[in-house]
Amino acid sequence: DGHYAHLLKMGLTILEKIIALQKKTSHIRNLCILAHVDHGKTTLADSLVASNGIISSRLAGKLRYLDSREDEQIRGITMKSSAISLHYTTGGNEYLINLIDSPGHVDFSSEVSTAVRLCDGAIVVVDAVEGVCPQTQVVLRQAWLENIRPVLVINKIDRLIVELKLTSQEAFTHLQKILEQVNAVTGSLFTSKVLEERAEKDAEAQSSCTENSSADQVYDWSAGLEETDDSDLYFSPDRGNVVFASAIDGWGFRYILRFFKQRAISCALVKKNPLVGDVFSNSKGKKPLFVQLVLDNIWNMYDAVVTRRDKEKVEKMVTSLGLKVMSRDLRHSDPKVLLSAICSQWLPVSRAVLSMVCEKLPCPAEISAERVEKLMSVGARRFDSLPEKTQELKKAFLDCSADETAPVIVFVSKMFAVDSKALPQNKQRPLTQEEIAQRRELARQRHAERQAANQSAESPGSADAGGTSTPAGPARGAVTDALCAQTEALSVKAAVEEENKEHFVAFARVYSGVVRKGQKVFVLGPKYDPSLALRALPEGCSVADVLPSIPHMTCCTVDSLYLLMGRELEELDEVPSGNVLGIGGMEEFILKSATISTSPACPPFTPLNFEATPIVRVAVEPKHPSEMPKLVRGMRLLNQADPCAEVLIQETGEHVLVTAGEVHLQRCLDDLRERFAKIEISASEPIIPFRETVIRPPKMDMVNEDLGKQQKVAVIHQVKEEQMKNPEGVQVDSTGLVTLTTPNKMATVRVRAIPLPEEVTRLLEDNVELIRTMEQFSLFAWEDKTLDINQKILENIQDFKVKLESNLQGHKWRGAVEHIWAFGPRRCGPNILLNNIEGYRRPSVWQCLEREKETERAEIRDFDNSIVSGFQLATLSGPMCEEPLMGVCFSVETWHMKISAPLAQQDSVDEDSQPAEPSNDDQSESSDVHETSSNRSRSRVEAAGGSVDCYGPFSGQLIAAMKEACRFAFQAKPQRLMAAMYTCEIMATAEVLGRMYAVLSKREGRVLQEEMKEGTDMFIIKAVLPVAESFGFADEIRKRTSGLASPQLVFSHWEVISSDPFWVPTTEEEYLHFGEKADSTNQTLKYMNAVRRRKGLYVEEKIVEHAEKQRTLSKNK
Amino acid sequence: MSIFTPTNQIRLTNVAVVRMKKGGKRFEIACYKNKVMSWRSGAEKDLDEVLQTNTVFVNVSKGQVAKKDDLSSAFGTDDVTEVCKQILAKGELQVSDKERQSQLEQMFRDIATIVAEKCVNPETKRPYTVILIERAMKDIHFSVKANKSTKQQALEVIKQLKQSIQIQRAHMRLRFVLPAKDGKRLKEKLRPLIKTVENEEFDDQLEMVCLIDPGCFRDIDELIRCETKGKGTLEVLSLKDVEEGDEKLE
Repeated sequence: DGHYAHLLKMGLTILEKIIALQKKTSHIRNLCILAHVDHGKTTLADSLVASNGIISSRLAGKLRYLDSREDEQIRGITMKSSAISLHYTTGGNEYLINLIDSPGHVDFSSEVSTAVRLCDGAIVVVDAVEGVCPQTQVVLRQAWLENIRPVLVINKIDRLIVELKLTSQEAFTHLQKILEQVNAVTGSLFTSKVLEERAEKDAEAQSSCTENSSADQVYDWSAGLEETDDSDLYFSPDRGNVVFASAIDGWGFRYILRFFKQRAISCALVKKNPLVGDVFSNSKGKKPLFVQLVLDNIWNMYDAVVTRRDKEKVEKMVTSLGLKVMSRDLRHSDPKVLLSAICSQWLPVSRAVLSMVCEKLPCPAEISAERVEKLMSVGARRFDSLPEKTQELKKAFLDCSADETAPVIVFVSKMFAVDSKALPQNKQRPLTQEEIAQRRELARQRHAERQAANQSAESPGSADAGGTSTPAGPARGAVTDALCAQTEALSVKAAVEEENKEHFVAFARVYSGVVRKGQKVFVLGPKYDPSLALRALPEGCSVADVLPSIPHMTCCTVDSLYLLMGRELEELDEVPSGNVLGIGGMEEFILKSATISTSPACPPFTPLNFEATPIVRVAVEPKHPSEMPKLVRGMRLLNQADPCAEVLIQETGEHVLVTAGEVHLQRCLDDLRERFAKIEISASEPIIPFRETVIRPPKMDMVNEDLGKQQKVAVIHQVKEEQMKNPEGVQVDSTGLVTLTTPNKMATVRVRAIPLPEEVTRLLEDNVELIRTMEQFSLFAWEDKTLDINQKILENIQDFKVKLESNLQGHKWRGAVEHIWAFGPRRCGPNILLNNIEGYRRPSVWQCLEREKETERAEIRDFDNSIVSGFQLATLSGPMCEEPLMGVCFSVETWHMKISAPLAQQDSVDEDSQPAEPSNDDQSESSDVHETSSNRSRSRVEAAGGSVDCYGPFSGQLIAAMKEACRFAFQAKPQRLMAAMYTCEIMATAEVLGRMYAVLSKREGRVLQEEMKEGTDMFIIKAVLPVAESFGFADEIRKRTSGLASPQLVFSHWEVISSDPFWVPTTEEEYLHFGEKADSTNQTLKYMNAVRRRKGLYVEEKIVEHAEKQRTLSKNK
Repeated sequence: MSIFTPTNQIRLTNVAVVRMKKGGKRFEIACYKNKVMSWRSGAEKDLDEVLQTNTVFVNVSKGQVAKKDDLSSAFGTDDVTEVCKQILAKGELQVSDKERQSQLEQMFRDIATIVAEKCVNPETKRPYTVILIERAMKDIHFSVKANKSTKQQALEVIKQLKQSIQIQRAHMRLRFVLPAKDGKRLKEKLRPLIKTVENEEFDDQLEMVCLIDPGCFRDIDELIRCETKGKGTLEVLSLKDVEEGDEKLE
């Protein structure tokens, strides 16, 4: 159809022009649009796109062409950065503008980072009503950090007129204020940078000073700020880097007048602008010229068109402006249509913005040396420390030449998924004449066949064409045809399925050289080290050679190159330096971002500055458990497609998705559901881990009274109850010493639980690897073998031992370190088993240190292993809610055995072979190990001559007894839960500090420190927050502080929750304060019960709280 | 004998009757529904929240109160509260709807937890979460039997789940050292029981590290002990062969 063909033709010609322009580096502008959410980025982009005829200018501002996702259109916010190439002609010069639209919502600031990296300039859009918003500050900072030059667009000026009903004079002051705000942000960025630099310089100076031993230092506080010139940073209309616009109505202008100063200049301008003339004549004294010359005109226009709908005046204005407005627009009932029809001709926003961009923003070749060095020096590495060859590449960056000889350097900032339907290879093209002719011929043939078949169908015998697939003669023609159609349909289906596969396109920019289709290149991962490669590779090698494998470096062939045109992709054969492009077929080689080069000396670019780190964690599960593999595959794809999302599988088997915020999370889940996994999924709060521990008996009660002196009211009653709780065979004395005998009355153990000092726990946690090595050594020694440990590790172990000794001081711990029997759980955890048995000397865990001494071989008693196994099991899951223990020491005081020697001998074989499995009293059911072999074991009982009694094998009994003893010993002490804690770093402005503290304290957070960031009005607050309270924390804090505070959470440590989960009032004071029931919520108990309920353990809770209040459903009457 | 008129009768609603036979007599008490189990587990401590009236009956529905003599002859005391407590603790009752529901729910959870603890996804060597197992159990319409132990039921569930999802018992890692002369012979016998052999050294003695199904452990244990007459050693390296630590999907 004609219209479409016309558009297509235009598209094609523009495409040709663009390809031609790609080679003129000085006429390329790479820029992105940045702003706070809802300040009109995408609308502005629409007007720019419309200027190229890609969309109708009538639809500009309504279509949001670059928001290609369905949820973007529904929600009305942009969620990804997308690029489009535009063509613009000004003053006889043709320009290629690679425009990248970015999201404004804080959750997607990672997308902004990917956009900013590829650009040389940025259009910062600010809402004329809302002014500078949190995200405006963030994007300005991002642009600043990436060293790209910004220009300003003050958008939505129509709102000042229509919504706020400001006069032109008021609007003028308002706009001035906004300009000041924006410049203030820029200024603070500048000062903080200068201060930082000065601090660095000072540090250097100081170090040199100490060398020179010159004592007198004079601080020059004024230095820096005054010396550095910052005037070119600021936005000001007279510098021509500000556009006033209303993108929705399609107008905008760049104000070049120095409206505070001379009339003469403005007079000169008056001649250029036809409308200014008549307004100028009836000026009233003191109005600023800006108001007189510009704002009043616009105000008049809105007044005439929108407010009063004065047709005559409108017509007069239109004719005086020399515009042509279509009569249907004049008649249209919606004044906005007319307005945009007039304005888009009078002051088209696209012209204003694009001309500013072409004038004020640098071309790719003007890249500053400073920025190049910043891009090339990864992490803390200084540019000077890079290998020489790498430093040479700086020239290539600066030249930005599209020469054949120049090395190719491309940076990929993100990967985005594209439906294979959208790929140009698979797109439907308009058919050429020959093709149409061919098709017509085919159709004619088919028609003829069908006719023939119909004729033959009338003849008898051919009606029974069942379902045989072999076509025989024309008689079967109809059937064949049908079958053909079927197979065709099938193949189409298969093709559709094939097409549904996601393709990834790399979002990239060429910094040097020319990328060609089919070219061989190196793909360098973010951790690639050029110096390593340069050493390993022969001199002057290229990609085509067979190369040794180097970490984070792969070779690949460039599959396809695309021109990014918003929703569309156009295939290209080559892309010269300075352009933004898409590269296909890279999904195998690139995860999220990468550097592509033909030179192995190329360093990987510095990682993107992400303003928001992912902190919202959810566990994702498929609705149908059988679809697990699909979910995993989908999550992998999501991880690749999203620069900010993280996915991981936890030890618990949970699939955790970490996103930057709730909106981001929603998008990720939608993507998983509809694109990547294509299954139903559910997201839930992730499992929160806890640890169990014991503490020293508290000296204070809950109302901070000394416990010692007070009369304990209910204590006698409680002790009685506890005694009743203990089953037979368990005795607990007042000091917490537990005595327990195995069911067959053969062995008795006495165990006591002691809290470990905090430092010891930390020490044990930090030295897991050492403990594991020691454990291995003991194991080998036990089998009369030796394990060689290198000297360094031995030293570390010695060091570890000394540290332990220094931390375990005092009467209680005398000789404790030498007596350590085992660590647990899993033989290397933060709990200790102590051997305090008189007269039992077993090889120490430190025997690897005493190798030279060749001490007399200490005897290991039989069943030694069972005791250790019991301890391991007890520490793996505690009695409170079956979570692992932490920081508990179990000291075995006595261990009596009443078995005859030969029997023990016989059974000791059994003992090492016994799995460390809890053999409960209920042996037959305790595990299937016992079950499956119960018959055989009985027969063995007879064979062994009654050495195994009715309670099962003795070693199993001992394990169970030891485990139970540990649990009782644990329960005899004051028990506490330990919560995982996050350290939380929050950046916030002064005015929201109060609200932020409220959120923190509501979630049991604790502030550690508060600091003001130098040179800004931002505060940096450090706090700790329990992981259990962190779900939804980020979202809440953002909501409460209107996005002015952004938290970052990192796991830091375990912390004892001070409240006792089993607490009931015992003292008189407590009774007075809390009453008998103590109804106030006990946080620890809540945590504990939540875990117990999750695990299906018994929770001490009434099924019905109030017996009388149950609903009565009487059946009889 | 009381006169049966509307004014002097107390009608009880929501009654759960707890019965006990003692001394040849039947005694009953009237309790609230869904409360007796909480009392027995110790969660409910207020007797008034459990008992409808502080009276011991012979027949609750007819309102016949037990005689004091009978009480003292059967229980040795005529303190009604004491007798009520005894009947509450030891009497038989019909379990009320919510009690049964919460009991079954708890068992269901327990079974799922056991399955999740014992099993792994063979592809990733990582455990499934309890929630996922629960969902899978619901998908195969598994119903809890109150009179069977949760462990037994868990083992049954694992077998059934194998048809719908990728699941298997986590393997045990064993290491055994066998004397050379028995080595070859035993190895043949052990082969069907072993899933995978990770390491094998045969010089003066046979040393093997292998993965087995936990169900076969007893057999292997017994085989080695009997055949080598106590000379071979067997050691459990890990009860569950699972991946440790978090893994980033990349």
